[in-house]
Amino acid sequence: MGILRRLCSSWNLIRVVRFGNNNSYNYSYSSFDPPNPSSSNSFLTHGIHVFQCPDTVGIVAKLSDCIASRGGNILSADVFVPQNKLVFYSRNVFVFDPVMWPRMQMEEDFLKLSKAFNAMRSVIRVPALDPKYKIAIIASKQDHCLIDLLHGWQDGRLSVDITCVISNHYRGPESEVIRFLEMHGVPYHYLRTTAKNKSEEEILKLVQNTDFLVLARYTRILSSTFLRSYGKDIINIHHGLLPSFSGINPSKQAVDAGVKLIGATSHFVTEGFDAGPIIEQMVERVSHRDNLQSFVQKSQNLEKQCLSSAIRSYCELRVLPYEKKKTVVF
Amino acid sequence: MAMARRVPQLVGLANRNRNRNRNMSFKSLDPSSSLTHGIHVFYCPDAVGIVAKLSDCIASRGGNILAADVFVPENKQVFYSRSDFVFDPVKWPRVQMEEDFLKLSQTFNAVRSVVRVPALDPKYKIAVLASKQDHCLVDLLHGWQDGRLPVDITCVISNHHRGSNTHVIRFLERHDIPYHYLCTTKENKREGEILQLVQNTDFLVLARYMQILSGNFLRSYGNDVINIHHGLLPSFKGGNPSKQAFESGVKLIGATSHFVTEELDAGPIIEQMVERVSHRDNLQSFVQKSENLEKQCLSKAIRSYCELRVLPYEEKKTVVF
Repeated sequence: MGILRRLCSSWNLIRVVRFGNNNSYNYSYSSFDPPNPSSSNSFLTHGIHVFQCPDTVGIVAKLSDCIASRGGNILSADVFVPQNKLVFYSRNVFVFDPVMWPRMQMEEDFLKLSKAFNAMRSVIRVPALDPKYKIAIIASKQDHCLIDLLHGWQDGRLSVDITCVISNHYRGPESEVIRFLEMHGVPYHYLRTTAKNKSEEEILKLVQNTDFLVLARYTRILSSTFLRSYGKDIINIHHGLLPSFSGINPSKQAVDAGVKLIGATSHFVTEGFDAGPIIEQMVERVSHRDNLQSFVQKSQNLEKQCLSSAIRSYCELRVLPYEKKKTVVF
Repeated sequence: MAMARRVPQLVGLANRNRNRNRNMSFKSLDPSSSLTHGIHVFYCPDAVGIVAKLSDCIASRGGNILAADVFVPENKQVFYSRSDFVFDPVKWPRVQMEEDFLKLSQTFNAVRSVVRVPALDPKYKIAVLASKQDHCLVDLLHGWQDGRLPVDITCVISNHHRGSNTHVIRFLERHDIPYHYLCTTKENKREGEILQLVQNTDFLVLARYMQILSGNFLRSYGNDVINIHHGLLPSFKGGNPSKQAFESGVKLIGATSHFVTEELDAGPIIEQMVERVSHRDNLQSFVQKSENLEKQCLSKAIRSYCELRVLPYEEKKTVVF
């Protein structure tokens, strides 16, 4: 299963040095001036490197030495080697001087290590230099998650580029979503779907230049053909605590079951329905004092938080595939 | 469904010697000065004026309400309340209290009206059923010993043999609680014998008891049975939920305490608790976290039940005040 593998492969196509990209990044450093190689000003930029390879002695030593040898300073590191699994995961966050360690050189250096250790995955990201991830959001009639994502994006809390919004629900020009999207120049594509025709070909065309997709309460099931053709990761929010209440109307199922806790689950989309590797789960208490309406309200609140959290983790390279159906989330 | 229907038999005021280990802020019952706690739960068809009548009843006898919960669900025409009050048992004798609330219960055609005075009424008698896993059993026994679990444990029944040197057996011997080992097979669940052993109990606690009690047993026993399920129902019903959870990659695991009905792991839920898990957990830590949750969840459910906080709500749910 290629979680983030698609991200990796799409990475190799992207130009590495993009000093012109002055997208607004929320860094504690002052606004980013494209460094002039001849300038003697040096300032530090954040880099993130994730690595997944067969386990062996000496990986951490080599990785950290690589960073140090280029003047990089590791600020935090997570290493995880599960028992008896012979696989190694790490995620390093470091600061470096892009003059001393140019982006392309960084790519080469880690590529060398990746080959040396036969890595399944080796991804670097320098948020200040690399382009933001491009995503398309697919939604249906329920728009609380969509709106929350749009606002998060507008506020800079969601560090992505939204290429378009696709929906099988028509929205008029006066609706909040349409007005917002028009204001920001983000196209909205209404694609009527039926059980027989899910408009998947059109969707594929619309999303071909994205890095990953977000299903924000999209009610149609994407076929395995679509998943294979698209090839990249798709993150979905399920309004229930999987594996409880898979399928439709989990809030009503929860009310009827008399549970005392309800939740939301964000996960990768795979062929099994509501069964892909889970990224994040959140719960909230409910009691006899809740009715269906408050169940739904609490659930919607959880979905928004859970989906945002998953997307943020994903963009920060915190999410890695683990065995068949799980994730490591650093 | 017989939830909390059994009212502990009113043992008269002569049983004052049941005052051991009461964690009450009042001194031992001295007729001249002390106030005693009473709890009353009431469940009846909704109407105007119930709260007024209930509170007036208490006030007219000099009782002072310290806490009250009233719940009337939308469009359901039922009324639930739980009142916690202090009173002087001289001014309002226990038998009189029973009569007064009975009158109200008849007036409002109550489905349930239970009054409990922990200082005077006998503790609930429970039997605990367990299998091989004993973390919940041991936790209950210690809670009982510390006075945190206000029940009388009449016996422990198990389909797992425990030798005389085991912690459980030594503990039970020290405290004079019989341990009944009933070997079960697929064909013979020994339910007849269990029924005999538990006939004088107020409710049963299944502390990771692995046999499924039949509908016959439940009907014959007739009182409530509380179970702990080591998973967040309805996820992971059935065997080895920790392993199921571990393999499914969930980020939260939980435990559920619920009433036992004929359907496996499907009775009305009393309490649920969760804890976070991550890639750093292996099956062992899943199990450890789960066991910890089960202990807490089961204790909490039993305590809520004993405090009359748990009431049946619709077919498959509970009100827990």
